[in-house]
Amino acid sequence: MVEIAVLLKQVPDTNAKIVVVNGRVDESAIASWVTSPYDEYAFEAALQHTEAAGGSITAITLGPARADKVLKDAAALGVTKLVRIWQDDWQDLDSNQVQSALANAVTAAGADLVYCGKQSADRNQGSTGPGIAEILGAACITEVSESDSAGSYLRPTASGSERVTVSSPAVVTFTKTQNELRRPNVRGIMMAKRAQIEVVGGDVSASQVNFNGHSSPAQKPPGKTYEGSDSVPEVVGLLRDEAKVL
Amino acid sequence: MVYEALDFYDLDSQLTDEEIMVRDMVRGWVDAEVLPKIEKACSEGVFPDEWRVALGEMGVLGAPLEGYGCPGLSYVAYGVICRELERGDSGLRSFASVQGSLAMYPIWDFGSEEQKQKYLPGMASGDLIGCFGLTEPDYGSNPGDMITKAEDKGDHFLLNGAKMWITNGTISDLAVVWAKLDGVIRGFIVETGDEGYSAPEMTGKYSLKASVTSELVFQDCKIPKDRILPGVKGLKGPFSCLNNARFGISWGALGAAQACFSSAKEYSLSRIQFDHPIASYQLVQNKLAWMLREITKGQLLAFELGRKKDNGSWIPEHISLAKMNNVDIALEIAREARDIHGANGILDEYCIMRHMANLESVKTYEGTHDIHNLILGRHITGIQSFTRSL
Ligand SMILES: Cc1cc2nc3c(=O)[nH]c(=O)nc-3n(C[C@H](O)[C@H](O)[C@H](O)COP(=O)(O)OP(=O)(O)OC[C@H]3O[C@@H](n4cnc5c(N)ncnc54)[C@H](O)[C@@H]3O)c2cc1C
Repeated sequence: MVEIAVLLKQVPDTNAKIVVVNGRVDESAIASWVTSPYDEYAFEAALQHTEAAGGSITAITLGPARADKVLKDAAALGVTKLVRIWQDDWQDLDSNQVQSALANAVTAAGADLVYCGKQSADRNQGSTGPGIAEILGAACITEVSESDSAGSYLRPTASGSERVTVSSPAVVTFTKTQNELRRPNVRGIMMAKRAQIEVVGGDVSASQVNFNGHSSPAQKPPGKTYEGSDSVPEVVGLLRDEAKVL
Repeated sequence: MVYEALDFYDLDSQLTDEEIMVRDMVRGWVDAEVLPKIEKACSEGVFPDEWRVALGEMGVLGAPLEGYGCPGLSYVAYGVICRELERGDSGLRSFASVQGSLAMYPIWDFGSEEQKQKYLPGMASGDLIGCFGLTEPDYGSNPGDMITKAEDKGDHFLLNGAKMWITNGTISDLAVVWAKLDGVIRGFIVETGDEGYSAPEMTGKYSLKASVTSELVFQDCKIPKDRILPGVKGLKGPFSCLNNARFGISWGALGAAQACFSSAKEYSLSRIQFDHPIASYQLVQNKLAWMLREITKGQLLAFELGRKKDNGSWIPEHISLAKMNNVDIALEIAREARDIHGANGILDEYCIMRHMANLESVKTYEGTHDIHNLILGRHITGIQSFTRSL
């Protein structure tokens, strides 16, 4: 029997158009929000782990009310323990604050293992999993691409791969795995209708990072056009020496 | 290309959280499992069995029915499911419509307790496939004159006759068959394997190629006495099933129309002629604006009809209007989209020609376009004009 806390972050759909207004991302312009893709791999791994070994999952998110959606989606896959961490006066939490709020919820959930994505699709900091492990004094295994219910994890690297086993408590962060998050079914969705989400606040220390502003990526410079067969040598030269694609 | 469903008036924001989850579940499945395989299914003329399994696993079959393992969703949710399925292919939606509205529904509404318990859970899970036999070779729009008949032989019924154009026929485990018993139309459940029953597949279709269409042949077909549907007599039986299926079609056709619109919009923005995207020319914009206008009106009809189905304030004529209108505009939108795609529009690389060919069937089945006009004409004038003495 294993208790797994799965951390699910709600992020803008990876195809959503991001608009910056007055130096800040305009959330109201984001048409659709989804669960961060790496978190979905972590979630599927947790579902398979508890199915094989017995135990249960607590799904935890940190975010405003709209983030309930990721927990409802988790409920549709059978998770009954759902926690959203938020306080209305929170804004621009820094990594330390996020990690400590999540670590508190993990402790309250009595979890042996924490499964989460290696990084979120919006901020891409990659600090949450390791930071929580640090706070909890837990082992941390990052960028896992394969896992099993015996606590064995595979980490791919450029030069090969590494297989490790770990005893709990441990935090495991997932990269892409072979197992996409399963689809719910109508029965699960109807169960999710009755799902109870526990909303908790928390004491977080003052932020050490000041938010100064968002900005959109710089406009791409216009492309260059070459015409006629005379320009072939020049183009080949540029592709080889400048673009380094040949 | 990521599918962006046209929803100009943001009507989906009126869906409940659960309805949105159902929509996203079906949409995601269609993207992942149907669209990559639909062209192959059409060229081979098969309905992939894995789709039956998946529809059962998702739990969307017989969507608005309650109890006996059925999902118990709202009619609006059922409409949304049909819309998302038909965005994939009308043949896929046809499978679900026939299973849910034409085969499960009559058993659910008119069947005995034993019949409900015997068939409905397996049909909801997709383990049992059903079909609906009403149309005959000589009786399409006027099924009331059908010649298939049942005789009471004391300890069994004997069926004789033939049905034609029956969706799912060859792949089904049971058929809900409408036949005359002492001159009155009654519903019977015929199981594959019953003596004297066969369901040969009809071939040569240019439309709904990924859907199985069959004849049902009854030659001294012997069925037990407990296979008659006890709860209904006369044309009301098949017509109540058709009401539900037609409701689903009024939503489904919009899915096909939205798919064609989405493809036409993308194509027109990327296709350069005379130095500019064709989307920048007024004639093309006029076509796109017309598509948006008709889809939006169709969506308003479908949503309002869904609410009426859910609150019980509907009449069959409301359904006739929505089925007729939405299939009609979907077919016209497919044709306009084909035009915008130029020569590319005839290729199987795009969904257009497939939807267009499919919609020709959808226009005819479940009451032809003009039969629905006649239903509305009768409603307006009080005079039926289906038939007259010549
Ligand atoms: C792919 C496909 C799947 C089908 N699946 C099923 C199924 O599962 N079960 C089932 O029972 N049936 C099924 N059908 C049959 C379908 O319901 C019939 O085709 C439909 O009812 C029309 O009948 P018909 O083809 O005989 O046309 P007809 O009734 O012969 O009509 C031909 C034309 O005459 C017009 N017309 C007819 N009567 C009048 C009138 N009084 N006034 C003016 N115009 C009139 C029609 O509008 C039409 O334009 C399917 C059909 C297709 C194409």
